[in-house]
Amino acid sequence: MTLTRVAPLVTTTVARQKPRRRDGWVTAIMVGPATVLYTVMLIVPVGLALYLSLTDWDGFSADPAFVGAANYLDLLDDPDLRRAAFVTLLVAAAGTAGLNLLGLGFALLVNGVSRANTFFRIVLFYPHVLSALVVGFLWSAILGTTGAVNNLVTSWGGEVLPFLSDPTWATITMIAVLVWAGFGVNVVLYLAGLQAVPHSLIEAARIDGATRRQVFRNVTLPALGPSVTVNIVLSLVTLLKTYDLVVSLTAGGPAGQTQTVAYLILWNSFHDARLGFGSAQSVLLMLVTGALAFVVTRLRRRGELAVHQ
Amino acid sequence: MLIPLYVLTVNAFKGQQDILTDPFGLGSLTLEPLGRALTNPQFNVVKGYAVTLLFVVAVNLLSVVLAAPAAYVIARSPKRRFRVLMLFFLAGTFIPGQVLVIPVVYVLKTLGLMGTIRGFVLFETVLTLPFSIFLYAGYIATVPAVLDQAAAVDGAGRLRTFWQIVFPLMRPAVATMVILNTFSVWNDFVNPQIILGPGSGLYTVTTGVYAAVSQYATDYTVVFPTLLLAIAPLLVFFVFMQRHIISGLTAGSTKG
Repeated sequence: MTLTRVAPLVTTTVARQKPRRRDGWVTAIMVGPATVLYTVMLIVPVGLALYLSLTDWDGFSADPAFVGAANYLDLLDDPDLRRAAFVTLLVAAAGTAGLNLLGLGFALLVNGVSRANTFFRIVLFYPHVLSALVVGFLWSAILGTTGAVNNLVTSWGGEVLPFLSDPTWATITMIAVLVWAGFGVNVVLYLAGLQAVPHSLIEAARIDGATRRQVFRNVTLPALGPSVTVNIVLSLVTLLKTYDLVVSLTAGGPAGQTQTVAYLILWNSFHDARLGFGSAQSVLLMLVTGALAFVVTRLRRRGELAVHQ
Repeated sequence: MLIPLYVLTVNAFKGQQDILTDPFGLGSLTLEPLGRALTNPQFNVVKGYAVTLLFVVAVNLLSVVLAAPAAYVIARSPKRRFRVLMLFFLAGTFIPGQVLVIPVVYVLKTLGLMGTIRGFVLFETVLTLPFSIFLYAGYIATVPAVLDQAAAVDGAGRLRTFWQIVFPLMRPAVATMVILNTFSVWNDFVNPQIILGPGSGLYTVTTGVYAAVSQYATDYTVVFPTLLLAIAPLLVFFVFMQRHIISGLTAGSTKG
């Protein structure tokens, strides 16, 4: 009590006594290092990415030549990029659907406090703890041509299933593995959203004779609106930069058919030493990701407003 | 959900023939492949653990030392320039990592830090700063400013007030960030692969797995034990700390 009463009085005198310059120094020491490092290694690189995308930098030369919009023009008629963009958008769309359907579905199943639910949450979440690289290697050991599943199938006299050796199968397998590895996060996010649904609303609906399904459709789902938006945007943004899993699961194959844009960026940059071209692709990816996230948020907001009216 | 983990664990203790003929059975278990994976000349797992752990500790320490005081100044100052600084840092949470790799190579080369541990640790630390500062500033705002004033009355300077009074109260927020950073550094593949480079001979657990497994993808006596060794520490850590880890990682994944 005495403390709160006395403190403001005294601090003002202390502050007045203290030389101002010293205070400025202390502030600079506290904020300066973080700000400088952050600027040099995060803000400057974003600007550099724009600049480098206008050059022919190969990763080694000290002063790359300025080539104007040449890299961007090359992008327009690059068949590899077109294919990778298609794969990436497909992965992002199908993956987002899978992550959110499973995420919401399992969140409804394991909602509530109990030992079993805690266990299920751990089991659903654990793949997210593993690096995508390990997840990819593990699944390729399970689904590869000589992998666990195919050994079982052939020992039963069946044909080898082309999980990873056929372009269409490989794309589907990749989406499935991404969903397997990631939907635990969506479960947790939806669970948090479910906590925020007012209990009184659900009870009122039940008392009015609504069935479980009606309660879900007309009470729970509309109240989950913001959660759904967050989950969709999050899934999209994450899936659009899929890279590690491609490296370990399919290595972009068969015949480059499962390369994503992020895979292509790093391949062009570091395998082909075309970092200028890679930068142009990164800038494009960043713009597309930002635009999609923006559009989805806008559309969802409009949808939510419509629900509330 | 657990079948892949079961396949991984069981097959890490079997010979190639057993894995091929009976991938899901228990067969005859042996420790031999695990032992060979531990002493694999391609990738020394024990050294990989040590290197990764060093990175994890260095990044976490540096991140806290840099972000916490900055967040304190931002949270406690009513001045406009610090609100702008907060927005400046916040912008960083929206920058996707992939866009950065190429220009960061350029920056690190210019600074002479490319291919060095210092360069890698600095960059990984910087990646943690925006969200750390955001989280810490939000947390510090909930710590009563009366405490600071009381410390000032007792004659403590600003630095001392922060580190001795406010910082100890930030434990939950720091714990969340440490969990988040530990997993992101441990699991990161692109940055160590490119910044440290295969030429440096420095492998983290993740880049080491890539070096060891990608070439011998069909020698399952290499694949399974190596993968098991790579994930075992994280998985044990996860099972014991699951509540904190799930909330920490979820906080991290929503930062964008």
